[in-house]
Amino acid sequence: RSTSGAKPESARARGARSERGERREGERGAAAIRCVAYNNQSNRLAVSRTDGTVEIYNLSANYFQEKFFPGHESRATEALCWAEGQRLFSAGLNGEIIEYDLQALNIKYAMDAFGGPIWSMAASPSDSQLLVGCEDGSVKLFQITPDKIQFERNFDRQKSRILSLSWHPSGTHIAAGSIDYISVFDVKSGSAVHKMIVDRQYMGVSKRKCIVWGVAFLSDGTVISVDSAGKVQFWDSATGTLVKSHLIANADVQSIAVANQEDSFVVGTAEGTVFHFQLVPVTSNSSEKQWVRTKPFQHHTHDVRTVAHSPTSLISGGTDTHLVIRPLMEKVEVKNYDAALRKITFPHRRLISCSRKRHLLLFQFAHHLELWRLGSTVATGKNGDTLPLSKNADHLLYLKTKGPENIICSCISPCGSWIAYSTASRFFLYRLNYEHDNINLKRVSKMPAFLRSALQILFSEDSTKLFVASNQGALHIVQLSGGSFKHLHAFQPQSGTVEAMCLLAVSPDGNWLAASGTSAGVHVYNVKQLKVFEYSIPDKHYTDWSRTVQKHGFHHLWLQRDTPITHISFHPKRPMHILLHDAYMFCIIDKSLPLPNDKTLLYNPFPPTNESDVQRRTAHAFKISKIYKPLLFMDLLDERTLVAVERPLDDIIAQLPPPIKKKKFGT
Amino acid sequence: MVQLRPRASRAPVSAEAMVDEGQPASEEEAEHGLLLGQPSSGAAAEPLEEDEEGDEEFDNEAPEELTFASAQAEAREEERRVRETVRRDKTLLKEKRKRREELFIEQKKRKLLPDTVLEKLTTASQTNIKKSPGKVKEVNLQKKNEDCEKGNDSKKVKVQKVQSVSQNKSYLAVRLKDQDLREARQQAAQAFIHNSLYGPGTNRTTVNKFLSLANKRLPVKRAAVQFLNNAWGIQKKQNAKRFKRRWMVRKMKTKK
Repeated sequence: RSTSGAKPESARARGARSERGERREGERGAAAIRCVAYNNQSNRLAVSRTDGTVEIYNLSANYFQEKFFPGHESRATEALCWAEGQRLFSAGLNGEIIEYDLQALNIKYAMDAFGGPIWSMAASPSDSQLLVGCEDGSVKLFQITPDKIQFERNFDRQKSRILSLSWHPSGTHIAAGSIDYISVFDVKSGSAVHKMIVDRQYMGVSKRKCIVWGVAFLSDGTVISVDSAGKVQFWDSATGTLVKSHLIANADVQSIAVANQEDSFVVGTAEGTVFHFQLVPVTSNSSEKQWVRTKPFQHHTHDVRTVAHSPTSLISGGTDTHLVIRPLMEKVEVKNYDAALRKITFPHRRLISCSRKRHLLLFQFAHHLELWRLGSTVATGKNGDTLPLSKNADHLLYLKTKGPENIICSCISPCGSWIAYSTASRFFLYRLNYEHDNINLKRVSKMPAFLRSALQILFSEDSTKLFVASNQGALHIVQLSGGSFKHLHAFQPQSGTVEAMCLLAVSPDGNWLAASGTSAGVHVYNVKQLKVFEYSIPDKHYTDWSRTVQKHGFHHLWLQRDTPITHISFHPKRPMHILLHDAYMFCIIDKSLPLPNDKTLLYNPFPPTNESDVQRRTAHAFKISKIYKPLLFMDLLDERTLVAVERPLDDIIAQLPPPIKKKKFGT
Repeated sequence: MVQLRPRASRAPVSAEAMVDEGQPASEEEAEHGLLLGQPSSGAAAEPLEEDEEGDEEFDNEAPEELTFASAQAEAREEERRVRETVRRDKTLLKEKRKRREELFIEQKKRKLLPDTVLEKLTTASQTNIKKSPGKVKEVNLQKKNEDCEKGNDSKKVKVQKVQSVSQNKSYLAVRLKDQDLREARQQAAQAFIHNSLYGPGTNRTTVNKFLSLANKRLPVKRAAVQFLNNAWGIQKKQNAKRFKRRWMVRKMKTKK
């Protein structure tokens, strides 16, 4: 379906006809979230998914996803943890402990633990040791050395697989949850001090084994366990006895996370509910405290496989691929819009690229690419109409990648004849030929040695140049002509550090290239003269405009926008317009119009009843439209057309694994 | 009257008697009876026929004489023939087996790496197994066609692995036995997780039912989110399609 917008001649410049590209079903979007790890020092969150991707979110920068490590078919992570400050480790079912290099955005090394598949991992409170629980029932201790980890010793071997681990804050004891029992080990001797048998059912008998999905060790010696029978139990580790038992769900309780101050913890269940437990005094002025279940949150539809507790919020993620961050009201100091619920559904990197000349969209999936031609319509209508398509969208190409690695980035050139994509170890470039409605693909072989793996790929506007940001920190410019390519230049990273380029943008006239690295600096390169500038071109453009912006200040709602901007593009003919979008809205900033002050309405109603009226009263620079709700991608096709790709949430849910059955009255 | 020679069964005789109703001559009767009463086996028929002929002329002649020697010779011939066939069969089988073995060896050889590479590997393993691994690239034997770098992986020397062999095509030879064991364990672990989360005894429902719960409780009830079941009767539909195709072809043929 296509929708018509305002006429471009009007000063509102909402953007003309826009086509809604509907996605058909496919394995689209993110995979299920498996583990979450919160780093207190840097306020960052590491999220690992079932396809092996690991993403790092910066929680203080508006929850923006700053880095990600592409997935691999054989890597199924089961545990993720931060250790020694900024080092990130993960362990999975292939039996290896992997350390990630956060600067170069690749994997430092993978060490086999020789215990079979690894189910759980925990870093010691002193941050110098790593504990790993394996399939064969052994608990292995590793020492973290400055550049690697080293195996230290094995603890007493248990009968069944160790599914969860937790250190006592002093580092003297650990609790290990297994199937039907929990063991408490003494770290110095490595022997099991207590073995606490877990009931299979809350006050009953059951045939199914009780799997202890999570344990947490508090400093007063209490061990909290969550298991597959839906119970949260409190044990005393000194005597090895059960203190209290709560039955909170009919399904598994799959995760637990305790706050640093140990006065609250959060658990996630398989029904999608997240419960918050707090330590409250028994009566209002007594010193005795007890654990009470205070708040339930139902933000997920499927299993909540992992939770994390930051000082001010509860973070949960699960099989329905959403990452939900719920700030706790009593912990938040400034009660502004920051304290709202954040639900991160779509990845923040660009998965769709658009070829303007030929109206093609390239969709990037984990293991293949799809090329679609947009449908067209000849009907016209007023604002807000949905026009019928005269020609439906065409599926042109399905390109499958070889090997187990996921695709990191992909791009199609604006003229539509080149497709480039990269995995963690290889770079592929294809040439497309169009002849009378047929399309044929030819692979450009013999990639040069430096083009191994790219973090970002971008074509210039006239499709003669290819810009590749490699993971070694260098930026390569390749000249494309006919069927061959020639390497023009490589911008080496400044100051010799290996900094991986994350974002790329090229100006329409092809002269300037902007790149931002992991340390959040923006470098602008002059492609014509092959020199590096720093902020010069944007500065020149933005100085006048940004000065006024500083003076007026942004509209308060704009500042309170809770989702980061995912994509920015410019209209080549109208340098005064900037088009940006995030997951919920798209917005055109018109620099020629005055900035809004706090009093005016930020969100223009759509469609307006009386055009001239609205124009006069609320004409300001920000034109925001919220008609396309879960917006995945938006770009300018030509003078009068925008293309927007929506991904309805129901589509995503339709492809997920089965959820727990909920009995509702009346059904 | 008691007859010295046992005659054939009386049934055909009586039938004949019925047909002829009367006075068959004794000789004719004998003939007919013998002819009709002959057993079906050919071997027995012959001597009887002869007998019958002989019977006419020489009633009481003794049967032919078969010497012991000739019978023995015959038996030996038979034995020899049988032994020969058995021997021939055995040799044929042997040959077949030999040929098949050779074929297998050929195929195996084709599958393995070329000899040169194997030599290099064995020599390299002696020298490199003690060396601390510098830049090591690892590719499984099955994927030897892919030459891509997979970053620096340093492995413990405990496992029987061979470090990089040649400069340009750097790969690592891994024992398939280890790989299989690892795969098996990973599969078992995944099966365990799947079983405990989605296996029998868990209270799971389909996504369709889950999303349709809301529709059921609306004041104006609506249909389920996925109302049609496209997976119903797939085999039937396929059979119907095939039948239709064949029927069409047949129709076209007969029309022509």
